[in-house]
Amino acid sequence: MTRALDPPVTRTRPRLEVALEMTATPATARTAAHASVWSQIEPFLTSVRKPARYVGGEGNIVVKDRASAECAWLLVYPDVYEVGQPNQGVQILYEVLNERPGTVAERGYAPWPDMEQVMREHRIPFFSLENHLPMRAFDIVAFSLATEVGYTNLLNCLDLGGVPLHASDRSDDDPLVVIGGHAAFNPEPLAPFVDVAVAGDGEEFVAELDDVVRAWRREGWTRTQALERIVRIEGAYVPAFYEPEYAADGRLRGTFPRHEGVPYRVPKRTVSNLDEWPYPKRPIVPLTETVHERYSVEIFRGCTRGCRFCQAGMITRPVRERSKDTVKRMVHEGVATTGFEEVGLLSLSSADHSEILGICGELADDYEGTATSLSLPSTRVDAFNVTLAEELIRNGRRTGLTFAPEAGTERMRRVINKMVSEADMLRTAETAFANGWRHLKLYFMIGLPTETDEDVLGIAELGLKVSEIGRQYGRKNKVTVSVGGFVPKPHTPFQWCAQDPPEELSRKLDLIRSRIAGDKSLNLRYHDPLPGVVEGLLARGDRRVAAAVERAFELGARFDGWDEWFDIGIWQRACAETGVDIAWYARERGEDEVFPWDHLDSGLEKDWLWKDYRDAVDRQAELEDCRWTPCYDCGVCPGLDLQHQTGHLPIYAGPR
Amino acid sequence: MRVRARYTKSGKLRFISAIDLGRVWERSLRLADLPIAYSEGFSPHPKVSFPDALPLGYASTGEYAELTFAAPVVLDTAVKALNAAFPAGLEILLAVPVADGDPKLSSLLQASTWDLQYRADDDTARRILAAVDALRAADEVPVARQRKGAPEAVDMRPAVAEISAVASTDGVTVRVTLHHIDHLPPGAPPVALRPSEVHAGLEVLRPALPDPVLVTRVAQGRALDRGLAEALSGEHVPPLS
Repeated sequence: MTRALDPPVTRTRPRLEVALEMTATPATARTAAHASVWSQIEPFLTSVRKPARYVGGEGNIVVKDRASAECAWLLVYPDVYEVGQPNQGVQILYEVLNERPGTVAERGYAPWPDMEQVMREHRIPFFSLENHLPMRAFDIVAFSLATEVGYTNLLNCLDLGGVPLHASDRSDDDPLVVIGGHAAFNPEPLAPFVDVAVAGDGEEFVAELDDVVRAWRREGWTRTQALERIVRIEGAYVPAFYEPEYAADGRLRGTFPRHEGVPYRVPKRTVSNLDEWPYPKRPIVPLTETVHERYSVEIFRGCTRGCRFCQAGMITRPVRERSKDTVKRMVHEGVATTGFEEVGLLSLSSADHSEILGICGELADDYEGTATSLSLPSTRVDAFNVTLAEELIRNGRRTGLTFAPEAGTERMRRVINKMVSEADMLRTAETAFANGWRHLKLYFMIGLPTETDEDVLGIAELGLKVSEIGRQYGRKNKVTVSVGGFVPKPHTPFQWCAQDPPEELSRKLDLIRSRIAGDKSLNLRYHDPLPGVVEGLLARGDRRVAAAVERAFELGARFDGWDEWFDIGIWQRACAETGVDIAWYARERGEDEVFPWDHLDSGLEKDWLWKDYRDAVDRQAELEDCRWTPCYDCGVCPGLDLQHQTGHLPIYAGPR
Repeated sequence: MRVRARYTKSGKLRFISAIDLGRVWERSLRLADLPIAYSEGFSPHPKVSFPDALPLGYASTGEYAELTFAAPVVLDTAVKALNAAFPAGLEILLAVPVADGDPKLSSLLQASTWDLQYRADDDTARRILAAVDALRAADEVPVARQRKGAPEAVDMRPAVAEISAVASTDGVTVRVTLHHIDHLPPGAPPVALRPSEVHAGLEVLRPALPDPVLVTRVAQGRALDRGLAEALSGEHVPPLS
């Protein structure tokens, strides 16, 4: 690694002592600490960047009285406000919880480093945006973890909040620290810091946890007694009740229950009928610009396209569609209660909804001639998707269309099971440019298993071909090729893969760069390969990695997903000091190797994942979508006693 | 149909930028379902214009906007709908229709009256009041300003139409009316004076004053011999006494 061994810790890092002192406040302070900190932060707001991040006061904000509540939740997205605010998961749970009488849910976001400095200097605790209450005023602090690179921010939020970092140091009166979101499918690198992790859908879980925590406060149980009841909620994983064992060579032997009455494997939570959960209904309308400003509705959850690298597609199975009527009603009400000018129809592969043409066509009719625009992110490489985009855009502006072929050659795409032929891609590009679209964005990954230099160069070749088509339809047409490094994720067929080291990714990027040099209508965008090192470590790490996370935080790691803050030197030093070998965690795993997430049941059979992995790397065998071909027994549907909820009819039936 | 409105920006909303405020207006107009006119072009925007921008952090009861509707609206109803759609801190206080041939809004906004609120003990309060008296009596008060990266002294006194102050139990409020740059008295240096420079001027005369805890634009309009005539209503905004 280039700027590796000598960690450049020259940046001024905020000192930690202040907040650590706050930790020593008597436990009884929780109920006493209900006073707003607004008057403490107000004098400093004109001296920090973008103070709108910290003020609350947005449209559709729900401000309830904490003092008269039986249970108060602080929902934290551990990134800066403009990234965290649009998060669907937080918004849904915010509404579900606030609709419960006697329950208060407020929101908090990671303070930007300038604000952190102010907070530490003036002993201002982590606060919520609704009533500006300190973290310790809440019964539950729940973090939404979309990605691993928020882990040090999570520790920073707890530390600023005066909540002991280690669950074992928390008293009966400290808030319960909960994590959810996709990264919670391997909670082990955060195990010492969280009381409860939940994998899967949160809509039903939060209400059940809310009930138990109310009883805890009412009955005056000890913290352990409360956790013993919480662990009975389906989906609740309490890391303190489990212990990992390691073999002499350092490999994990297993993670075993160490407390009476806890399950060997904790299942994920799955909401079976999304039409019964039509959230968000009244999303927050931010006062300042955020990364996604639109009314977003999930048109379905889950995906069975079977892309082998895709964690989201694997862990959210089965497919559950919202009906066209529910989607339309949600959009109409959502636009009316927010004033948003854009509607996003979200899912992992939006064009796969069985009623997608009807949804797009009817909504486009409803909003034709208005200033409301519709968008369909996450579409496949398919001329049909251009048709859909046309349907949505009507006579509006055709700016950019985004497609994700993910890999440069058909061979590589067969390995990852992204079944797009080059002819498909070129036809799609042709259709798009012919219809007047002027900018195509193509997303690719490098560092995929079995990848050769030919596959890597294929990215450049495909980009050049698409760019050539673009030029035929207009000199100013543009193509952007965006390249990221592949990070193997738990609960996917590629969980056994080796992760390419950053030097190798840089070499491959250079191959692409030199191949396309000189083409003026082709832009190359790529991610710095170094943050992926940490993402990979945290994604597939075990409980021993937690010490490195804590040390990195102590050394000043924050906002690891931000190029301007990410510092590989800090992580290398933290890993060295805690005996964590990054390369060991990036290596290829053996068939029988126990994973740190094996006791978290995503529903997928490990045998099936292994078979699919071998099919990929040994035979480049494709796997069809099980919505319209026979079941291949990934394990999810029978385990959940569910089936896909979709209007698609199987193309053919019967045993394979 | 064109409408002019005087509105507030207060509370938590004072920490959002002028650009963000414009977006809040646009969204609220959509939320209120009013027939606002849209600009032509690739990305149509509602036709709302703001003659000037309030610096971030300042509160105001004297901001102004001009709106163009594509169809006639009943003014009271429209104002009620907009106020219901606005987030807390944003509120229309007064709206008037504009007739063809009316003078431009910016020509009505010749001066701003500001309140600078200080938290102060008795001694500090006396020094602030003395600084106000000294500023009123002074012919010239140089304050430092950055011009092309270099500090430069400008005389802030000619832009001050009137300054007054009143002490309360926990501090002092200073009220100052400042001529806008296009409406300065003859011979004054062409400076768009900011409230922070009024504070700087007071500090020139009585050093080491505390910063004001809150600065509020009270209203804009025409500077009078005593006080200000508010732009849309003519209402008299008196000095403090």
